Amino acid sequence: MMGDWQVYWLFLQQGIASGLVTGSIYALLAIAIVIIFKTTDAPNFAAGEIFMAGAYIALYLLIFSQIAYVIAVPVTLAITFVFSALFYRIVLRRIGVSPAVAVNVVIATLGLSFVLKGIVRNTGFGDVPRSFPAVFGADTVQIGDAVLTTQDVAVFALALLAMAIFFVFFNYTRPGRAMRAVGMNPRAAALVGIDLHKTRMLIWGLSGLLSALAAILIAPKILMTADMGIVVILGFAAAIVGGFTSLPGAVVGGLIIGIVENLVGLFVSTRAIVVAPFIVIMLVLAIRPQGLFGGPVVIKKV
Amino acid sequence: MRRMKAFALPGLIAGLALSTAAAAFPIKAGQGTYQDPGITDDTIKIGLFAPLSGPARAYGEDPLNAARMWYEMINEMGGIWGRKIELVIEDDRCTANDLVAAVKKLVEQDQVFMLNGGSCSAAAVAAQEYVLRNKVPYVMLNASGDGALYPPTDYIFGGISISQRAVGGIAVDFVVKHFNAKKIGYINHDDAYGAWNLETAEYMAKEHGVSLSVESINPNITDVTAPMLKIRAANPDVLILTTYARPAALILKRAHELGFKGPIVLTVTGTANLKQLVENVGTKDAFANFYVQDVINDSPDGPKQRWIIDMYKKRYPDLAAKPDHPTPYMPYGVASAQTVTHALMLAGPNPTRESVARILRTLTFESGVMAGMISFGENDRAGQESSIFLKFDGETQVLQPGVYTSRWTYKP
Repeated sequence: MMGDWQVYWLFLQQGIASGLVTGSIYALLAIAIVIIFKTTDAPNFAAGEIFMAGAYIALYLLIFSQIAYVIAVPVTLAITFVFSALFYRIVLRRIGVSPAVAVNVVIATLGLSFVLKGIVRNTGFGDVPRSFPAVFGADTVQIGDAVLTTQDVAVFALALLAMAIFFVFFNYTRPGRAMRAVGMNPRAAALVGIDLHKTRMLIWGLSGLLSALAAILIAPKILMTADMGIVVILGFAAAIVGGFTSLPGAVVGGLIIGIVENLVGLFVSTRAIVVAPFIVIMLVLAIRPQGLFGGPVVIKKV
Repeated sequence: MRRMKAFALPGLIAGLALSTAAAAFPIKAGQGTYQDPGITDDTIKIGLFAPLSGPARAYGEDPLNAARMWYEMINEMGGIWGRKIELVIEDDRCTANDLVAAVKKLVEQDQVFMLNGGSCSAAAVAAQEYVLRNKVPYVMLNASGDGALYPPTDYIFGGISISQRAVGGIAVDFVVKHFNAKKIGYINHDDAYGAWNLETAEYMAKEHGVSLSVESINPNITDVTAPMLKIRAANPDVLILTTYARPAALILKRAHELGFKGPIVLTVTGTANLKQLVENVGTKDAFANFYVQDVINDSPDGPKQRWIIDMYKKRYPDLAAKPDHPTPYMPYGVASAQTVTHALMLAGPNPTRESVARILRTLTFESGVMAGMISFGENDRAGQESSIFLKFDGETQVLQPGVYTSRWTYKP
């Protein structure tokens, strides 16, 4: 029988280990949200449903079309990339010519979220919670006293790899730099010859791809339903904690939210798990309104 | 208060008792005008509703089919007091707005005599105020509907499958008697459903002198590490899960990963599709010491359920040929429809909404479908408060001996 301190030490180790795994997914989602916000000045409220749709597309390809994993995953990522890019091209670009742009973009993304959820529900696949086939087994790995599965370790490693690739892309490639320029100052970016619409289209595509990647990684752990997109709320929480316009902030915010969720559940109450991220948001906003990694507060309009 | 006992015959005989009884009353109903809408010399109109579309369709479609086949059988036997049952069917989509809209349409536009429907508690409870204001007898289909059952009202009757308050108490009764458990782990939801089943679980734990380690979780939880780790640290003799199917699958999976070896009992809240549950957990090893609660009177393929399955297959051959049909919730619809037809029969040849509601308030009968008697009382508007348990190894279900009942009662 373990003593109290041994139990608390186990809780701490397990809470951090499991929190890093789920937190890495929140971080991917937060990046998907932040890159859109930086370039369109409006949050994408369809992020959750793009995430959900990505998981169902992959499930359809894997289970119902019997396509191999190595093909199904890239095809899913490609579909969500193209779909998200086309949503910008067909809907948001048109909305961009009207006044009150940010509000219209928000409403358009909300509309998209309802459409995607409706489509999945009408397929009949969304009626019952479904399992997503995991690539890695459920064998357990002991890290200290914490127990993770090989799937958990793979999720964390792949999420970190994806983040590293995005870091390289944004900092060392021409399209990545163009995206950053559009995010910082679109007018100046246009003056130096960057095609704003093409760049934004690419950003929407990448955001969709990231959401689908996060969905494929986490789906075997959380099970799939038409409402699984609710996880994105934690991506928003991570983005807010990180500063909403900062990509490193999104990553750190995601990991913090994941760990806090677990530690609050273990040391405070399991009832408090769902409110923990929002308490973190309130604390961060009270102490540092621009978020942990956000720049100085800029008032654009008075 | 004296209780009326309509029938106490087992199995098929009990199931068909009403039709026999209805045929035994060949007297034609009184002719002339009626004080309530929905009733004529030849017909009586019943509003039947359930989620027939949307994500909760699986909860309601088959119970509604089952209720309909019972009503059709009664009509084929000559109806009740010579009156054929006329059904008006609506889709409530399992949402409060849609259900209340359906109820209003049935009462005001279709002028039904009484209501029989609802598979989702929150939605069914939303109709409470309207139903009571209009004094329409309302028998829920397979919603537990505890929110509208306690405190008891004169016109609303539910928990025909089982009330949520009974679920927790019965599970505790089972693990104490079956496993001789002294320390019980208990994971419920942090919503009204969870609070209701915990209330009776705590009552029964106190009655048995055993302890409960409770972890309440949000139904949308994505990471169940914390609750499962805390339960494991509490080292209970047995773990009871009163969660919905998705969190139940996550917990079973995590319990297996964390090496929890004790018995796990899943209540009827999460057992809608056991095949899918196994798929979602991913390994049958997680079901090595696993039990499920059921509220019918036998294992789903047991002899006592045969008549109802045969009846379903005969009425709906196309549906029965589909995978996963009939659904586990299907038989509940028959018990609910039986409640309505028993009350109508006992109300005599000239029923009023008031007389039917009065009969329902003290109705007791053996359904031949459910684990216990369908029984209402002065302070009890929940029809069914017993259940059986089955050991499930991921493939087959083995009925465990005994029927378990919650002894919690509502104290006004």
